[in-house]
Amino acid sequence: MSAANQLAALIANMFATGLLDDQFQQLQMLQDPSAPNFVSEVVTLFCHDGERIIGELAKLLDKPTVDFDRVDAFVHQLKGSSASVGALKVKNTCIQFREFCQQKSKDGCLKTLETVRINFYELRGKFQTMLQLERQVNGFPPNN
Amino acid sequence: MQHSKRQPSTKKRKIRVHHHHLKSSIFMASRNQGSAPRALVVEDIKVDRLILMHMLHKLNCEAIAVENGKEAVDLFLEGKTFDIVFSDKDMPIMSGPEAVAKIRAMGATEVKIVGVSADFGGKEAFMQAGADVFVPKPVKLETLQSMLEVVISKKNMSG
Repeated sequence: MSAANQLAALIANMFATGLLDDQFQQLQMLQDPSAPNFVSEVVTLFCHDGERIIGELAKLLDKPTVDFDRVDAFVHQLKGSSASVGALKVKNTCIQFREFCQQKSKDGCLKTLETVRINFYELRGKFQTMLQLERQVNGFPPNN
Repeated sequence: MQHSKRQPSTKKRKIRVHHHHLKSSIFMASRNQGSAPRALVVEDIKVDRLILMHMLHKLNCEAIAVENGKEAVDLFLEGKTFDIVFSDKDMPIMSGPEAVAKIRAMGATEVKIVGVSADFGGKEAFMQAGADVFVPKPVKLETLQSMLEVVISKKNMSG
């Protein structure tokens, strides 16, 4: 299967499995010859920031006394950026996470953090594959 | 871009051509009058800031971005002027509504201020602070376009 076909199939799968919603299509529509790497830049930034936020959440929830306001602030950031890139599953998990923050439930937060982590890394892996395939489609060798 | 289909017929048909150049109406309007709209983006989330700035540049806006309400207020205190401000709600150091209230209190009543948030409860906070309009996140390009068209026509009328 050509790289272009693999890319199309991957993105279709990401929509079909609920990883992405139509906001991602909005991002794709914003890409044009004057900004040929726009989607790649946004996705890369999202992945970098998401990883940082998850790390901060793990540290905050590891403390004996949890500052739920700070946890909520980080989850709010991740929810916001998820919504902006169309990361539906991550966004929805963040919504649940915020409810546990409001309830000041450490157990709830820890369990949801694990779900966020799984969903985020699943998405990140597929985004990385997507970017590699885009490079191949554009005639560049894949990054190693 | 979509184009109308010409139907072979003896009857006269109206030909409609649909242009999907989102930039064109704003670009032509601002170019004819010589000034692009000046926008300020107040947003702490990097991804959101990148997307909004890209949209504004795509719509031929001169846009700058800051990361919290205090930085926005500082720009106004320095005498900077903008045609339109897009402000997120929850930010470190100073929130969007707090910044909006301070900007209005300075006498900056002409600048169009748009409150932006994924939190629907943010609308009340922004409107009470003096924002002109609230839009939910994520912001759509068409929404930005229609807002900027209003700003440009107001600029053109005031000369």
